[in-house]
Formats: sequence, structure tokens, C-alpha cells
Amino acid sequence: MGDEKQVENNAVDNIEKGVNMAVKVYSPYKVYFDGLALSVSAASKTGNFDILPKHHNFITLLAPCDLVVRTDKEEQVIPISGGIMHVKADDLVVFLDV
Amino acid sequence: MKRPSELAHEEASMATLVELTSAFEGIASMKIAQTKNQVLESTKFFDRLWKIYSQMRVDSLFTFGRDVDEKPLIDKELFIMITAEGGFSGDIDQKILKLVLEEYDAEKHDIIVIGHHGAIQLSQRGIGFKKYYKLPAKDQNINVVPIVREVQQYKAASLFYAEYISLMSQDVKKISLASAVKSRAAAGEDDDAEVISEETYIFEPDSFAVAAHLERSMMQISISQLILSSKLAQYASRFKAMTASHQRADESRNDLHMEFNRSRRAIKDQRLKEIITGIKKSTAGAGN
Repeated sequence: MGDEKQVENNAVDNIEKGVNMAVKVYSPYKVYFDGLALSVSAASKTGNFDILPKHHNFITLLAPCDLVVRTDKEEQVIPISGGIMHVKADDLVVFLDV
Repeated sequence: MKRPSELAHEEASMATLVELTSAFEGIASMKIAQTKNQVLESTKFFDRLWKIYSQMRVDSLFTFGRDVDEKPLIDKELFIMITAEGGFSGDIDQKILKLVLEEYDAEKHDIIVIGHHGAIQLSQRGIGFKKYYKLPAKDQNINVVPIVREVQQYKAASLFYAEYISLMSQDVKKISLASAVKSRAAAGEDDDAEVISEETYIFEPDSFAVAAHLERSMMQISISQLILSSKLAQYASRFKAMTASHQRADESRNDLHMEFNRSRRAIKDQRLKEIITGIKKSTAGAGN
């Protein structure tokens, strides 16, 4: 129980230090990713882009692409047909199937 | 009176019916639980999208996600009827149809039907409809894009659907689509929320395109949720019908069992009567 609390505190510290961002990728009925990430890559109509911690507030319509979520342990690739990305204060949410 | 062997056969058939109705009752109950959970998940998702949309405040009107340069709107109201695919929906579809017909005027309204049963009901009454869509068999990722495209061509749209109140109670309702979207968001409204504008955010491609996309998305989710709500009411109606059938089948089985016992007893009594009569006769014969 104490270890879990410590991990949670470290995660919050990492967000505050600008190392990570809180990322959630989900559709109305399924969560594809929910956790901390170092970066997220995707594509909009104008081309590919990457989102890193400390990014400016941002809302974009996503184009069909492979959405890549990079964490300190792995890289998760999520093929998407479109969606909406909202970034605010190191909190990134991708709404899929919309 | 029927023979015991016949009654035993009928009782066995009735027992199968009892098991079947019990199984259907269980399936309907499971479907209700699953669908309720999906509606709940979808509502959370919708609330978060609505929060972003309401913070943008691009336009005070909900414009159904229409682009600015779209062709002129059809000066009619679009009625969307959500009915069952088959005939196992109890009297819900009749109630929906009654509600539609109370307001329908061919000059002012066009109808789109979701569900085969509703389409048949309208045809039987000689009422034409613009389009018919099958009620989706699956409960997830319902594709409502073709319906949203139709809605965008009209100045207004209303949905007629069945609402789940409880397992034993379902109701039919009419709701305008704009109200459906807004009512779903009412709980998530936050007057103190920050304003999202082009001064505080980067928009890609621009704030109007994002707002229009959000409106389309929320409209899709709202229509999907109303379809799910209708399916939920249909499952509940089916559950109610199956519960009644199960009770009736169980009562019939008990009646048959009693009749079987009575028939067996009657045969035994008859035999006993014959034996006693035989003994009496033979005793009387021996006495002579």
C-alpha cells in the first residue's frame, strides 16, 4: 500500500518536473491508454506532429494515422481512423470514434 | 379425461418451455445490465467532450455541426422513429407510432425509421417514410453518421424513442435533437470553467471547424445513446414478456402435473372398483 502511494507521488513529481504528461486515449466504450507518457505522436490534416510535456494548450482534429504513445518503458502504437486531441497543462486526452 | 401417458408427455413439453423462458429471461436480464453500463460509460465520455465545447463558446446556438457554406436547409422537421427490429418489443412500437401520428403532417414532416418493425407498421398505415435503417444488432460503436448527415439537411429534427424507466416500466418519448444534446450535457455544466479561445489555445485547423466537429460528435453520441436507450427498453419489455410467459408455463406445468396425478388416481380407483366388484361377485357366488 505504501509503495503504491510512493509510485503515485513520483508520478505527480514527474509531471511537475515536466518529464511526463498524463495521457488518456479512449472511445465511448473502450480505453486504449491511460497513464503517464513521455511523448505522443499523431497526424492532423496538415501533417505529423509530436506532443511533449510543457506543450502549449492545443486542440486538433486528428487524421487517420498510427497514434504513438511513448512511455519510459514501452512504445504503444494505436491505429486510429480519426479523433479529437485536447492538450492542456500536461494533460493530454484523445477522443476516438468521434 | 386424458390418459396419464399423454399428460406426462405434455408435462415434459411444458417443462422444456419453462426452461426456455427462464433462459430467455436470463439473457434479457444480462443484456439490460450490459447496456446500462455502456450508456453510463458513453455519458462520461460525452460529458468531457461537452465541457470542451461549452468552454469554446464559438456560437451560442447549437448548429448541428453544419458547415457555413452548406446548401439551403429543407424547411421541414425530420422525425426519427427508433423501433424494434422484430416483433418482440411488446406494445412499445405501437405507442411510438401513436406518438408520431399525433403530430405528423406530410407537408411539414419527413420520417426516418430505425428498426424494421416500425417500417412495417408505417407501411401498413400507408404512411411513406424517407429512409429506413436497420436497428444495429451490436450495442457498441453504432454508426449513426448517415443519420447525422440527414439531420444536417433539415431545419429541425426530433427523435421518438422508448425510454427505460425500470425493469417493469418503459415509456415512449419525443425529444428535439438539440435538446437531447443539451440535456445530456446539463449535468456537466460549469459556469466557472475557463474560456477556450484562439488567444489561449492553438487550434488545428481552426476553432470553427473544431466546434462543428464537436457538435457532430456529440450529436452522434446522443443519437447512439437514444438508440441504446430504446434497445434497453426493448430488452426490458422482452424480459417482462418472458417473466410472464415463464410464470404461465410454470403454472401450466403444475396444472398438468395435478391432472396427471388425478388421472393416475382415477385409473387406480377404477381398477380397485373392478377388483372389489369381482370379489363381491365371487363371494356372493361362493355363498350360493
